[in-house]
Amino acid sequence: MTIAVPFLGHGIGLRTKHFPALWDGTARVDWFEAISENFMVDGGRPRAALERARGIAPLVLHGVSLSIGSTDPLDDAYLLALGALARRTEPAWISDHLCWSGIGEHYAHDLLPLPYTEEALEHVVRRVVTVQARLGRQILLENVSSYLTYTHSTLTEWEFLGAVAERADCGLLLDVNNVYVSAMNHGFDARAYLAGLPAGRVGQIHLAGHTDMGTHLLDTHDGPVIDAVWDLYRQAVRRFGRVSTLVEWDDHIPELDVVCAEAERARAVEALVLEAANAAAA
Amino acid sequence: MLPLRELQIRFGAALAAGLGEPDAADAPAPIDRTLLGLVSGRGDLAAAPRIQIYRDMYRARLVDVLREDYPRVVATLGDEEFEILATRYLGHHPSTHPSVRYLGDRFADFVDAEGPEPPFLADLARLEWARGAAFDAPDAELLREADLQAIPPAEWPALELRSIPACRILDCAWPVHEIWAAAGRPAPGEPPSWEPRAVAIRVWREGYEVSHAAIGAVERRLLPLLERGAPLSVLCAALEDDLEPEVAAREVGGLLLRWLEDGLLARRAA
Repeated sequence: MTIAVPFLGHGIGLRTKHFPALWDGTARVDWFEAISENFMVDGGRPRAALERARGIAPLVLHGVSLSIGSTDPLDDAYLLALGALARRTEPAWISDHLCWSGIGEHYAHDLLPLPYTEEALEHVVRRVVTVQARLGRQILLENVSSYLTYTHSTLTEWEFLGAVAERADCGLLLDVNNVYVSAMNHGFDARAYLAGLPAGRVGQIHLAGHTDMGTHLLDTHDGPVIDAVWDLYRQAVRRFGRVSTLVEWDDHIPELDVVCAEAERARAVEALVLEAANAAAA
Repeated sequence: MLPLRELQIRFGAALAAGLGEPDAADAPAPIDRTLLGLVSGRGDLAAAPRIQIYRDMYRARLVDVLREDYPRVVATLGDEEFEILATRYLGHHPSTHPSVRYLGDRFADFVDAEGPEPPFLADLARLEWARGAAFDAPDAELLREADLQAIPPAEWPALELRSIPACRILDCAWPVHEIWAAAGRPAPGEPPSWEPRAVAIRVWREGYEVSHAAIGAVERRLLPLLERGAPLSVLCAALEDDLEPEVAAREVGGLLLRWLEDGLLARRAA
């Protein structure tokens, strides 16, 4: 089975700081990823900006509060708001994270790690099926950076991710930086992770920077992508082929041209890898 | 094996318990042993510091959200004092909405109940929250002077006026519009001292720009009528207990011009 999403090229996250530079129309942006919750508002500048952005380039909605792994009931109001936002903005796809973000009707607004057990797997699969039925479309789920793992996990993270995608028939948003961060924090092999994912399920790739805290890596999205993550991206392109790729930059956000240059670099890296693969095949 | 729900409840409780006073960060709140036993310690990091990473991120992220919602409360208190207050708020009012946009919706009331110092702090927070609410309130097509001119004067008394959805009224015990302005341009030396003074404030959005202004007693009395929609004749009648009809009509006429200029009136749906 595969995930059916279009190839959009190499995009950037839609951030308020860049609005003036975006509206002058000189930047080359393949596509935008907007944080869904930031635009679930009634009016004003955010709503108008989203309309304007989707006039410039294709749009994808990326949520942080679906809380697909929580054992609280799915938030009906949230799903209604997400559905309404999707009808209004016609995103190429909708994604969120494979994690939980709240419990007891309280939102932590963080991407909290799940244990990789059969119980959690069945729970998540059931909820993904429900969400996809409610939204009337497949969703993509992203692997998160994590700082702890559980002693009772019986599956690796990539086995869990792959099983969710296959059983719930959803797509995966492969965050290459998150794979790297978690691999360093937990001592697993990032290359084995990529090799272990079902190829046809990866519909999007994320690239971002992180911060070395000495004892661990923190997923801060506050700087350029490091060389080791570019290497991992090369492996991802070799394994998954052309996949829509997006650069995330959320803190210490530089000028638009710097973020666009990072997306251009992704384009160049992908082209070189595919060229080499084609030459080898010829 | 601990059921997933039980794990999540314990994890959530560990995050909440981490909202101690920021100056207690050197002595983090204890973590329940069952949860600790489920977390792998590896390399330089044992189980407890790994959970502490999530606690620290939880507090830092949400305090940052409140900092962005209440910049002039931050300017008034200073960063450290604000963090202590915001952290206490989060302990009492964890987020109940999927968007952080609504995290601070009870902050002003919380500050009020705490017995704030300085005493105008709750009013200042109320003004900042109202400005945020106006920022992304529903859009509306504006009624302009030209629209009125197109209507025969004989029909004006029956003309129903309605304020835009991005309009809020605040009743404050302090001149909070002046306090807000002063907090936005801090001067060297002692901060200005303020005396309590009852002020009504209108907060509204024109285009994408949020504004606020102190309003007089007559406008304060009429604005709630505009929220529901009211004909000019009703606005005039609302003043006639205190004012002669001609004076009331003049007052309403003057305000009407100001509302049109400020972009405060919505055009009726066709």
